[in-house]
Amino acid sequence: MNAIEKIEVDTLVVGSGIAGLQSALDLADQGYSVAIVEKAPSIGGKMISLSKVFPTLDCASCITTPRMASVSHHPRITTLTYSTVDAIKREGKTFTAAVTRKPRYIDEKECISCKRCEEVCPVLLPDEYEVGMGAKKTISIPFTNAIPQLPVMHPEHCIRCGACARACPKDCIEFLQEPAPVEIKAKAVILATGYETTPMTAKKQYGLGKLPNVISPMAAERLLAPHGPYGRVLRPSDGMVPGSIAYVQCAGSRDKSIGIPYCSRVCCMYAIKQAILLSGSLPIADITIYYMDIRAFGKGYEQFYNNARAMGINFVKAKVARITEDEKHNPILRIERQEGTSGPEEVKHELVILSQGLVPGHDASSFGLGTQNNDFGFVKLSDEMVSSAVTAGAGVFAAGVVKGPRDIPDSVVDAGSAAMEAANYMRKL
Amino acid sequence: MADAKKLAEQLKKLNELRGPVPQALRDQVAAQNKAQKAILEALGSGPKTAPELAAAAGLTHEKAIWYVAALRKYGKLADVPGKGDYPKYELKGGDAK
Repeated sequence: MNAIEKIEVDTLVVGSGIAGLQSALDLADQGYSVAIVEKAPSIGGKMISLSKVFPTLDCASCITTPRMASVSHHPRITTLTYSTVDAIKREGKTFTAAVTRKPRYIDEKECISCKRCEEVCPVLLPDEYEVGMGAKKTISIPFTNAIPQLPVMHPEHCIRCGACARACPKDCIEFLQEPAPVEIKAKAVILATGYETTPMTAKKQYGLGKLPNVISPMAAERLLAPHGPYGRVLRPSDGMVPGSIAYVQCAGSRDKSIGIPYCSRVCCMYAIKQAILLSGSLPIADITIYYMDIRAFGKGYEQFYNNARAMGINFVKAKVARITEDEKHNPILRIERQEGTSGPEEVKHELVILSQGLVPGHDASSFGLGTQNNDFGFVKLSDEMVSSAVTAGAGVFAAGVVKGPRDIPDSVVDAGSAAMEAANYMRKL
Repeated sequence: MADAKKLAEQLKKLNELRGPVPQALRDQVAAQNKAQKAILEALGSGPKTAPELAAAAGLTHEKAIWYVAALRKYGKLADVPGKGDYPKYELKGGDAK
Protein backbone atom coordinates (compact mmCIF):
# COMPACT_ATOMS: atom_id res chain seq x y z
CA MET A 1 0.00 0.00 0.00
CA ASN A 2 1.16 3.54 -0.73
CA ALA A 3 2.18 5.85 2.10
CA ILE A 4 -0.66 7.87 3.62
CA GLU A 5 -1.19 11.15 1.80
CA LYS A 6 -0.72 14.00 4.30
CA ILE A 7 -2.19 17.47 3.94
CA GLU A 8 -1.59 20.32 6.35
CA VAL A 9 -3.81 23.39 6.14
CA ASP A 10 -5.22 26.15 8.33
CA THR A 11 -8.86 25.09 8.03
CA LEU A 12 -10.71 21.94 7.14
CA VAL A 13 -14.14 22.48 5.58
CA VAL A 14 -16.42 19.45 5.62
CA GLY A 15 -18.97 19.67 2.81
CA SER A 16 -18.87 21.60 -0.45
CA GLY A 17 -22.39 22.87 -0.86
CA ILE A 18 -22.88 26.59 -1.24
CA ALA A 19 -22.04 27.19 2.45
CA GLY A 20 -18.85 25.10 2.37
CA LEU A 21 -17.72 26.69 -0.92
CA GLN A 22 -18.34 30.20 0.34
CA SER A 23 -16.55 29.73 3.67
CA ALA A 24 -13.58 28.07 1.92
CA LEU A 25 -13.34 30.98 -0.54
CA ASP A 26 -13.68 33.63 2.17
CA LEU A 27 -10.85 32.07 4.18
CA ALA A 28 -8.60 31.38 1.20
CA ASP A 29 -9.02 34.94 -0.07
CA GLN A 30 -7.80 36.16 3.34
CA GLY A 31 -4.63 34.11 2.93
CA TYR A 32 -5.56 30.98 4.90
CA SER A 33 -5.02 27.57 3.39
CA VAL A 34 -8.10 25.36 3.24
CA ALA A 35 -8.87 21.71 2.56
CA ILE A 36 -12.47 21.03 1.52
CA VAL A 37 -13.74 17.46 1.69
CA GLU A 38 -16.82 16.34 -0.23
CA LYS A 39 -18.39 12.88 -0.14
CA ALA A 40 -19.99 13.21 -3.59
CA PRO A 41 -17.93 12.92 -6.80
CA SER A 42 -18.45 16.65 -7.52
CA ILE A 43 -18.41 19.78 -5.41
CA GLY A 44 -21.52 21.97 -5.48
CA GLY A 45 -23.83 20.18 -3.03
CA LYS A 46 -27.57 20.36 -3.44
CA MET A 47 -27.56 23.78 -5.03
CA ILE A 48 -25.88 22.71 -8.26
CA SER A 49 -28.81 20.42 -9.04
CA LEU A 50 -31.46 23.12 -8.57
CA SER A 51 -33.09 24.87 -11.52
CA LYS A 52 -33.53 28.43 -10.26
CA VAL A 53 -33.54 30.23 -6.92
CA PHE A 54 -36.29 32.23 -5.22
CA PRO A 55 -37.37 35.01 -5.29
CA THR A 56 -35.13 36.35 -8.05
CA LEU A 57 -35.49 33.33 -10.35
CA ASP A 58 -31.77 33.50 -11.06
CA CYS A 59 -30.32 30.34 -12.55
CA ALA A 60 -28.95 28.26 -9.63
CA SER A 61 -25.98 26.83 -11.51
CA CYS A 62 -25.04 30.34 -12.76
CA ILE A 63 -24.50 31.26 -9.10
CA THR A 64 -22.89 27.99 -8.02
CA THR A 65 -20.55 27.13 -10.89
CA PRO A 66 -18.38 30.28 -10.60
CA ARG A 67 -17.84 29.48 -6.90
CA MET A 68 -17.13 25.84 -7.74
CA ALA A 69 -14.57 26.88 -10.34
CA SER A 70 -12.99 29.44 -7.97
CA VAL A 71 -12.62 26.80 -5.25
CA SER A 72 -11.24 24.21 -7.60
CA HIS A 73 -8.63 26.60 -9.07
CA HIS A 74 -7.76 28.49 -5.89
CA PRO A 75 -4.05 28.18 -5.08
CA ARG A 76 -4.78 27.94 -1.34
CA ILE A 77 -7.66 25.42 -1.51
CA THR A 78 -7.14 21.67 -1.72
CA THR A 79 -10.30 19.90 -2.85
CA LEU A 80 -10.95 16.25 -2.06
CA THR A 81 -14.06 14.90 -3.76
CA TYR A 82 -15.57 11.43 -3.46
CA SER A 83 -13.94 11.33 -0.03
CA THR A 84 -15.33 10.72 3.42
CA VAL A 85 -14.27 12.19 6.74
CA ASP A 86 -14.12 9.08 8.92
CA ALA A 87 -12.96 10.71 12.14
CA ILE A 88 -11.51 13.97 13.43
CA LYS A 89 -9.28 14.00 16.49
CA ARG A 90 -8.31 17.03 18.47
CA GLU A 91 -4.67 16.98 19.60
CA GLY A 92 -3.91 20.16 21.52
CA LYS A 93 -4.68 22.99 19.14
CA THR A 94 -4.56 20.83 16.04
CA PHE A 95 -7.27 18.74 14.44
CA THR A 96 -6.28 15.57 12.62
CA ALA A 97 -8.88 14.23 10.22
CA ALA A 98 -8.82 10.69 8.87
CA VAL A 99 -10.21 10.91 5.35
CA THR A 100 -10.75 8.17 2.79
CA ARG A 101 -10.56 8.84 -0.92
CA LYS A 102 -13.02 6.38 -2.41
CA PRO A 103 -11.78 4.71 -5.60
CA ARG A 104 -13.12 6.10 -8.87
CA TYR A 105 -11.25 3.27 -10.64
CA ILE A 106 -9.43 5.73 -12.87
CA ASP A 107 -6.10 7.51 -12.75
CA GLU A 108 -7.31 10.98 -11.80
CA LYS A 109 -4.06 12.65 -12.86
CA GLU A 110 -4.12 11.14 -16.34
CA CYS A 111 -7.85 11.41 -17.16
CA ILE A 112 -8.66 14.08 -19.76
CA SER A 113 -12.47 13.92 -19.21
CA CYS A 114 -13.10 12.82 -22.81
CA LYS A 115 -16.08 10.63 -21.73
CA ARG A 116 -15.11 7.85 -24.16
CA CYS A 117 -15.31 5.31 -21.32
CA GLU A 118 -18.86 6.45 -20.61
CA GLU A 119 -19.87 6.38 -24.28
CA VAL A 120 -18.85 2.75 -24.75
CA CYS A 121 -19.95 1.34 -21.39
CA PRO A 122 -22.89 -1.02 -22.08
CA VAL A 123 -24.55 -0.92 -18.63
CA LEU A 124 -27.23 1.63 -17.75
CA LEU A 125 -28.03 2.63 -14.16
CA PRO A 126 -30.65 4.93 -12.68
CA ASP A 127 -28.99 8.33 -12.32
CA GLU A 128 -29.31 9.55 -8.74
CA TYR A 129 -28.44 13.09 -9.90
CA GLU A 130 -31.70 12.99 -11.90
CA VAL A 131 -33.44 11.38 -8.91
CA GLY A 132 -33.66 8.12 -10.87
CA MET A 133 -35.61 9.65 -13.78
CA GLY A 134 -32.62 9.59 -16.11
CA ALA A 135 -29.86 7.07 -16.69
CA LYS A 136 -26.11 7.00 -16.41
CA LYS A 137 -23.51 4.38 -17.26
CA THR A 138 -21.58 2.17 -14.85
CA ILE A 139 -18.64 4.46 -15.55
CA SER A 140 -19.73 8.05 -15.97
CA ILE A 141 -19.00 11.69 -15.22
CA PRO A 142 -21.61 12.58 -12.56
CA PHE A 143 -23.27 15.44 -14.44
CA THR A 144 -22.63 18.03 -17.16
CA ASN A 145 -21.20 20.79 -14.95
CA ALA A 146 -19.58 18.56 -12.33
CA ILE A 147 -16.24 19.68 -10.93
CA PRO A 148 -13.94 17.81 -11.26
CA GLN A 149 -14.92 16.36 -14.65
CA LEU A 150 -13.78 12.88 -13.65
CA PRO A 151 -15.76 9.68 -14.15
CA VAL A 152 -16.65 7.28 -11.36
CA MET A 153 -17.02 3.54 -11.88
CA HIS A 154 -19.52 1.53 -9.87
CA PRO A 155 -17.86 -1.90 -9.74
CA GLU A 156 -20.97 -3.66 -8.40
CA HIS A 157 -22.66 -2.93 -11.75
CA CYS A 158 -19.62 -3.61 -13.94
CA ILE A 159 -19.74 -6.66 -16.23
CA ARG A 160 -15.94 -6.45 -16.71
CA CYS A 161 -16.18 -6.28 -20.49
CA GLY A 162 -13.14 -4.00 -20.61
CA ALA A 163 -14.76 -1.68 -23.19
CA CYS A 164 -13.94 1.43 -21.12
CA ALA A 165 -10.28 0.47 -20.82
CA ARG A 166 -9.99 -0.24 -24.55
CA ALA A 167 -11.65 3.10 -25.40
CA CYS A 168 -9.59 5.21 -22.99
CA PRO A 169 -6.96 7.15 -24.96
CA LYS A 170 -4.86 7.72 -21.83
CA ASP A 171 -4.97 4.16 -20.49
CA CYS A 172 -6.21 5.38 -17.14
CA ILE A 173 -8.87 2.83 -16.16
CA GLU A 174 -7.71 1.08 -12.98
CA PHE A 175 -10.01 -1.82 -12.17
CA LEU A 176 -7.98 -2.74 -9.10
CA GLN A 177 -7.87 0.67 -7.46
CA GLU A 178 -8.42 0.69 -3.69
CA PRO A 179 -9.58 3.30 -1.18
CA ALA A 180 -6.75 5.64 -0.24
CA PRO A 181 -6.36 7.08 3.26
CA VAL A 182 -5.55 10.77 3.64
CA GLU A 183 -4.57 12.58 6.83
CA ILE A 184 -5.50 16.24 7.08
CA LYS A 185 -4.10 18.43 9.85
CA ALA A 186 -5.88 21.75 10.47
CA LYS A 187 -6.18 24.45 13.10
CA ALA A 188 -9.93 24.95 12.69
CA VAL A 189 -12.86 23.00 11.30
CA ILE A 190 -15.94 24.34 9.53
CA LEU A 191 -18.86 21.93 9.41
CA ALA A 192 -21.01 22.49 6.31
CA THR A 193 -22.59 19.08 5.88
CA GLY A 194 -25.95 20.50 4.84
CA TYR A 195 -29.18 18.56 4.64
CA GLU A 196 -31.14 15.76 3.13
CA THR A 197 -34.83 16.03 2.37
CA THR A 198 -37.20 13.87 4.38
CA PRO A 199 -37.37 10.52 2.59
CA MET A 200 -40.21 9.65 0.21
CA THR A 201 -40.78 6.61 2.39
CA ALA A 202 -41.40 8.70 5.51
CA LYS A 203 -45.17 8.67 5.32
CA LYS A 204 -47.21 5.64 4.40
CA GLN A 205 -50.28 7.81 3.79
CA TYR A 206 -48.38 9.43 0.90
CA GLY A 207 -47.53 6.19 -0.87
CA LEU A 208 -44.08 5.41 0.57
CA GLY A 209 -42.42 6.54 -2.64
CA LYS A 210 -44.15 3.81 -4.66
CA LEU A 211 -46.53 6.05 -6.61
CA PRO A 212 -44.59 6.99 -9.77
CA ASN A 213 -46.26 10.35 -10.22
CA VAL A 214 -45.78 11.46 -6.62
CA ILE A 215 -42.30 12.93 -6.73
CA SER A 216 -39.85 14.78 -4.54
CA PRO A 217 -39.11 18.50 -4.88
CA MET A 218 -35.54 17.64 -5.94
CA ALA A 219 -37.04 15.57 -8.79
CA ALA A 220 -39.20 18.56 -9.72
CA GLU A 221 -36.06 20.74 -9.76
CA ARG A 222 -34.51 18.34 -12.26
CA LEU A 223 -37.66 18.34 -14.43
CA LEU A 224 -37.43 22.14 -14.51
CA ALA A 225 -33.67 22.31 -15.16
CA PRO A 226 -32.71 22.98 -18.79
CA HIS A 227 -30.47 19.89 -18.82
CA GLY A 228 -32.94 17.72 -16.89
CA PRO A 229 -33.69 14.07 -17.70
CA TYR A 230 -36.34 14.70 -20.36
CA GLY A 231 -35.33 18.19 -21.47
CA ARG A 232 -38.85 19.35 -20.58
CA VAL A 233 -41.47 18.79 -17.90
CA LEU A 234 -42.93 15.29 -18.26
CA ARG A 235 -44.25 12.95 -15.64
CA PRO A 236 -42.13 9.89 -14.87
CA SER A 237 -44.81 7.19 -15.18
CA ASP A 238 -45.35 7.52 -18.92
CA GLY A 239 -43.71 10.66 -20.31
CA MET A 240 -46.94 12.65 -20.44
CA VAL A 241 -47.02 16.45 -20.23
CA PRO A 242 -48.90 16.92 -16.94
CA GLY A 243 -51.99 19.12 -17.20
CA SER A 244 -52.78 19.21 -13.50
CA ILE A 245 -50.05 19.49 -10.89
CA ALA A 246 -50.35 19.70 -7.12
CA TYR A 247 -47.98 20.53 -4.29
CA VAL A 248 -48.53 19.02 -0.86
CA GLN A 249 -46.98 21.38 1.67
CA CYS A 250 -45.57 20.26 5.02
CA ALA A 251 -45.20 16.73 3.59
CA GLY A 252 -42.13 16.18 5.72
CA SER A 253 -42.23 18.89 8.35
CA ARG A 254 -44.53 20.03 11.17
CA ASP A 255 -45.45 16.40 11.54
CA LYS A 256 -44.89 14.73 14.89
CA SER A 257 -45.90 11.36 13.43
CA ILE A 258 -42.61 11.23 11.51
CA GLY A 259 -40.55 12.86 14.26
CA ILE A 260 -40.13 16.18 12.49
CA PRO A 261 -42.20 18.71 14.41
CA TYR A 262 -40.35 21.78 13.16
CA CYS A 263 -41.08 23.94 10.12
CA SER A 264 -38.43 23.48 7.43
CA ARG A 265 -38.68 27.15 6.51
CA VAL A 266 -37.94 26.95 2.79
CA CYS A 267 -40.62 24.58 1.47
CA CYS A 268 -43.31 27.22 0.90
CA MET A 269 -40.94 29.34 -1.12
CA TYR A 270 -39.44 26.52 -3.21
CA ALA A 271 -42.95 25.23 -3.96
CA ILE A 272 -44.07 28.70 -5.04
CA LYS A 273 -40.91 29.08 -7.15
CA GLN A 274 -41.45 25.71 -8.83
CA ALA A 275 -45.13 26.51 -9.39
CA ILE A 276 -44.18 29.79 -11.10
CA LEU A 277 -41.59 28.00 -13.26
CA LEU A 278 -44.06 25.22 -14.10
CA SER A 279 -46.67 27.74 -15.16
CA GLY A 280 -44.04 29.20 -17.50
CA SER A 281 -43.15 25.78 -18.96
CA LEU A 282 -46.74 24.54 -19.09
CA PRO A 283 -48.93 27.63 -19.59
CA ILE A 284 -52.23 25.71 -19.69
CA ALA A 285 -51.55 23.46 -16.69
CA ASP A 286 -53.59 23.84 -13.50
CA ILE A 287 -51.26 24.18 -10.53
CA THR A 288 -52.54 23.86 -6.98
CA ILE A 289 -50.66 24.26 -3.71
CA TYR A 290 -52.28 22.59 -0.68
CA TYR A 291 -50.89 24.37 2.35
CA MET A 292 -51.31 24.79 6.10
CA ASP A 293 -49.71 28.24 6.38
CA ILE A 294 -47.48 30.14 3.98
CA ARG A 295 -44.09 31.11 5.35
CA ALA A 296 -42.80 33.95 3.17
CA PHE A 297 -40.01 35.01 5.49
CA GLY A 298 -37.44 36.96 3.51
CA LYS A 299 -37.07 40.14 1.56
CA GLY A 300 -39.40 40.16 -1.43
CA TYR A 301 -40.87 36.76 -0.53
CA GLU A 302 -44.38 38.02 0.25
CA GLN A 303 -44.43 39.80 -3.10
CA PHE A 304 -43.24 36.59 -4.78
CA TYR A 305 -46.15 34.73 -3.16
CA ASN A 306 -48.61 37.42 -4.23
CA ASN A 307 -47.24 37.28 -7.77
CA ALA A 308 -47.82 33.51 -7.82
CA ARG A 309 -51.43 34.04 -6.76
CA ALA A 310 -51.88 36.72 -9.40
CA MET A 311 -50.47 34.34 -12.04
CA GLY A 312 -53.34 31.95 -11.34
CA ILE A 313 -51.68 29.39 -9.11
CA ASN A 314 -54.37 27.97 -6.81
CA PHE A 315 -53.59 28.14 -3.11
CA VAL A 316 -55.90 25.83 -1.16
CA LYS A 317 -55.66 25.85 2.63
CA ALA A 318 -56.20 22.16 3.22
CA LYS A 319 -54.69 19.13 4.90
CA VAL A 320 -53.89 16.21 2.62
CA ALA A 321 -54.74 13.05 4.52
CA ARG A 322 -53.85 10.43 1.95
CA ILE A 323 -52.59 9.96 -1.58
CA THR A 324 -53.60 7.00 -3.73
CA GLU A 325 -53.67 6.57 -7.51
CA ASP A 326 -56.00 5.40 -10.27
CA GLU A 327 -55.19 2.76 -12.88
CA LYS A 328 -53.37 5.34 -15.04
CA HIS A 329 -51.14 6.34 -12.11
CA ASN A 330 -52.96 9.68 -11.68
CA PRO A 331 -52.52 10.60 -8.00
CA ILE A 332 -55.74 11.04 -6.02
CA LEU A 333 -55.51 13.36 -3.02
CA ARG A 334 -57.94 13.02 -0.13
CA ILE A 335 -58.11 16.51 1.29
CA GLU A 336 -59.97 18.42 3.94
CA ARG A 337 -60.26 22.15 3.41
CA GLN A 338 -59.37 24.28 6.40
CA GLU A 339 -61.61 27.13 5.29
CA GLY A 340 -65.36 26.66 4.96
CA THR A 341 -67.31 23.75 6.33
CA SER A 342 -67.10 21.13 3.62
CA GLY A 343 -66.14 17.56 4.50
CA PRO A 344 -63.28 15.51 3.06
CA GLU A 345 -63.07 15.34 -0.72
CA GLU A 346 -60.97 13.52 -3.30
CA VAL A 347 -59.16 15.44 -6.02
CA LYS A 348 -57.35 13.91 -8.97
CA HIS A 349 -54.13 15.39 -10.37
CA GLU A 350 -51.63 14.14 -12.95
CA LEU A 351 -48.45 14.92 -11.03
CA VAL A 352 -47.94 15.58 -7.33
CA ILE A 353 -44.88 17.01 -5.62
CA LEU A 354 -44.41 16.39 -1.90
CA SER A 355 -42.86 19.47 -0.32
CA GLN A 356 -40.45 17.57 1.85
CA GLY A 357 -38.71 19.10 4.80
CA LEU A 358 -35.03 19.34 5.59
CA VAL A 359 -33.24 16.95 7.95
CA PRO A 360 -29.54 16.97 8.91
CA GLY A 361 -27.21 15.63 6.19
CA HIS A 362 -24.82 14.19 8.75
CA ASP A 363 -24.72 13.74 12.51
CA ALA A 364 -21.96 16.25 13.23
CA SER A 365 -21.66 15.08 16.85
CA SER A 366 -20.31 11.77 15.50
CA PHE A 367 -16.99 13.51 14.77
CA GLY A 368 -16.45 13.81 18.56
CA LEU A 369 -15.38 17.43 18.36
CA GLY A 370 -17.38 18.58 21.36
CA THR A 371 -20.20 20.04 19.27
CA GLN A 372 -23.72 19.43 20.44
CA ASN A 373 -26.86 18.76 18.49
CA ASN A 374 -30.22 20.39 19.10
CA ASP A 375 -33.35 18.29 19.61
CA PHE A 376 -33.65 17.70 15.87
CA GLY A 377 -30.06 16.64 15.12
CA PHE A 378 -28.80 19.97 13.76
CA VAL A 379 -25.64 21.49 15.24
CA LYS A 380 -26.36 23.66 18.25
CA LEU A 381 -24.70 27.05 18.45
CA SER A 382 -23.05 28.22 21.67
CA ASP A 383 -25.07 31.41 21.75
CA GLU A 384 -27.18 32.33 18.76
CA MET A 385 -27.47 35.93 19.94
CA VAL A 386 -23.69 36.37 19.88
CA SER A 387 -22.58 34.37 16.85
CA SER A 388 -24.22 32.42 14.07
CA ALA A 389 -21.23 30.10 13.67
CA VAL A 390 -19.57 29.31 17.01
CA THR A 391 -20.30 25.83 18.36
CA ALA A 392 -19.55 24.28 21.74
CA GLY A 393 -16.37 22.71 20.29
CA ALA A 394 -13.39 25.09 20.40
CA GLY A 395 -12.19 25.78 16.87
CA VAL A 396 -15.24 24.13 15.33
CA PHE A 397 -17.64 26.36 13.40
CA ALA A 398 -20.87 25.68 11.53
CA ALA A 399 -22.05 27.06 8.19
CA GLY A 400 -25.36 26.68 6.39
CA VAL A 401 -28.13 24.16 6.92
CA VAL A 402 -25.98 22.05 9.30
CA LYS A 403 -27.37 24.44 11.97
CA GLY A 404 -30.99 24.11 10.88
CA PRO A 405 -33.16 24.82 7.84
CA ARG A 406 -32.39 28.07 6.04
CA ASP A 407 -32.42 29.37 2.49
CA ILE A 408 -29.53 30.00 0.12
CA PRO A 409 -28.93 33.72 0.90
CA ASP A 410 -28.89 32.94 4.64
CA SER A 411 -26.51 30.02 4.07
CA VAL A 412 -24.12 32.25 2.13
CA VAL A 413 -24.20 34.94 4.84
CA ASP A 414 -23.67 32.24 7.48
CA ALA A 415 -20.71 30.88 5.56
CA GLY A 416 -19.09 34.31 5.68
CA SER A 417 -19.72 34.43 9.41
CA ALA A 418 -18.18 30.96 9.93
CA ALA A 419 -15.11 31.99 7.90
CA MET A 420 -14.72 35.18 9.95
CA GLU A 421 -15.07 33.32 13.26
CA ALA A 422 -12.56 30.68 12.11
CA ALA A 423 -10.10 33.40 11.02
CA ASN A 424 -10.45 35.16 14.40
CA TYR A 425 -9.92 31.89 16.22
CA MET A 426 -6.81 31.00 14.23
CA ARG A 427 -5.33 34.49 14.64
CA LYS A 428 -5.47 34.06 18.42
CA LEU A 429 -3.80 30.64 18.47
CA MET B 1 -5.62 2.54 -25.68
CA ALA B 2 -5.08 -0.05 -23.01
CA ASP B 3 -2.46 -2.69 -23.43
CA ALA B 4 -4.53 -5.84 -24.19
CA LYS B 5 -2.30 -8.04 -22.07
CA LYS B 6 -2.36 -5.68 -19.07
CA LEU B 7 -6.16 -5.37 -19.36
CA ALA B 8 -6.61 -9.14 -19.50
CA GLU B 9 -4.45 -9.51 -16.40
CA GLN B 10 -6.43 -6.84 -14.52
CA LEU B 11 -9.76 -8.44 -15.42
CA LYS B 12 -8.48 -11.88 -14.44
CA LYS B 13 -7.30 -10.54 -11.09
CA LEU B 14 -10.66 -8.83 -10.64
CA ASN B 15 -12.49 -12.12 -11.24
CA GLU B 16 -10.28 -13.78 -8.64
CA LEU B 17 -10.95 -11.02 -6.13
CA ARG B 18 -14.67 -10.56 -6.65
CA GLY B 19 -15.78 -13.85 -8.16
CA PRO B 20 -17.58 -14.14 -11.49
CA VAL B 21 -19.98 -11.45 -12.73
CA PRO B 22 -23.37 -12.32 -11.17
CA GLN B 23 -25.82 -13.91 -13.61
CA ALA B 24 -28.53 -11.45 -12.50
CA LEU B 25 -26.34 -8.56 -13.68
CA ARG B 26 -25.66 -10.29 -17.01
CA ASP B 27 -29.42 -10.85 -17.45
CA GLN B 28 -30.13 -7.24 -16.59
CA VAL B 29 -27.68 -5.98 -19.21
CA ALA B 30 -29.11 -8.39 -21.81
CA ALA B 31 -32.61 -7.05 -21.04
CA GLN B 32 -31.34 -3.47 -21.34
CA ASN B 33 -29.77 -4.18 -24.72
CA LYS B 34 -32.96 -5.87 -25.96
CA ALA B 35 -35.14 -2.97 -24.78
CA GLN B 36 -32.91 -0.32 -26.37
CA LYS B 37 -32.75 -2.25 -29.64
CA ALA B 38 -36.53 -2.67 -29.70
CA ILE B 39 -37.09 1.04 -29.07
CA LEU B 40 -34.64 2.09 -31.78
CA GLU B 41 -36.17 -0.42 -34.23
CA ALA B 42 -39.66 0.87 -33.46
CA LEU B 43 -38.46 4.40 -34.18
CA GLY B 44 -37.18 3.18 -37.54
CA SER B 45 -40.76 3.32 -38.82
CA GLY B 46 -41.26 6.93 -37.70
CA PRO B 47 -41.59 9.15 -34.61
CA LYS B 48 -43.39 7.68 -31.63
CA THR B 49 -44.50 8.62 -28.09
CA ALA B 50 -43.25 6.87 -24.94
CA PRO B 51 -46.44 4.74 -24.56
CA GLU B 52 -46.24 3.75 -28.25
CA LEU B 53 -42.61 2.73 -27.73
CA ALA B 54 -43.62 0.81 -24.59
CA ALA B 55 -46.18 -1.16 -26.61
CA ALA B 56 -43.71 -1.81 -29.45
CA ALA B 57 -40.91 -2.94 -27.13
CA GLY B 58 -43.03 -4.83 -24.62
CA LEU B 59 -42.06 -2.54 -21.74
CA THR B 60 -44.04 -0.77 -19.03
CA HIS B 61 -44.68 2.93 -19.73
CA GLU B 62 -42.37 3.81 -16.85
CA LYS B 63 -39.50 1.74 -18.22
CA ALA B 64 -40.06 3.06 -21.74
CA ILE B 65 -39.70 6.73 -20.71
CA TRP B 66 -36.59 5.81 -18.70
CA TYR B 67 -34.99 4.23 -21.77
CA VAL B 68 -36.09 7.22 -23.84
CA ALA B 69 -34.30 9.51 -21.34
CA ALA B 70 -31.20 7.27 -21.52
CA LEU B 71 -31.13 7.07 -25.33
CA ARG B 72 -31.77 10.82 -25.55
CA LYS B 73 -28.88 11.55 -23.18
CA TYR B 74 -26.49 9.37 -25.15
CA GLY B 75 -27.48 10.89 -28.49
CA LYS B 76 -29.47 8.04 -30.06
CA LEU B 77 -32.82 9.78 -30.27
CA ALA B 78 -34.20 13.32 -30.30
CA ASP B 79 -37.39 15.18 -29.42
CA VAL B 80 -39.85 15.91 -32.22
CA PRO B 81 -41.18 19.47 -31.89
CA GLY B 82 -44.94 19.58 -31.55
CA LYS B 83 -47.91 19.75 -29.25
CA GLY B 84 -49.98 17.10 -27.52
CA ASP B 85 -50.07 15.29 -24.21
CA TYR B 86 -47.35 12.86 -25.20
CA PRO B 87 -44.26 14.20 -26.98
CA LYS B 88 -42.84 12.16 -29.85
CA TYR B 89 -39.28 11.01 -30.34
CA GLU B 90 -37.32 10.21 -33.48
CA LEU B 91 -34.00 8.62 -34.36
CA LYS B 92 -31.15 11.07 -34.26
CA GLY B 93 -29.34 11.42 -37.57
CA GLY B 94 -30.41 7.92 -38.61
CA ASP B 95 -28.05 6.48 -35.99
CA ALA B 96 -29.85 3.32 -34.87
CA LYS B 97 -26.91 1.13 -33.97
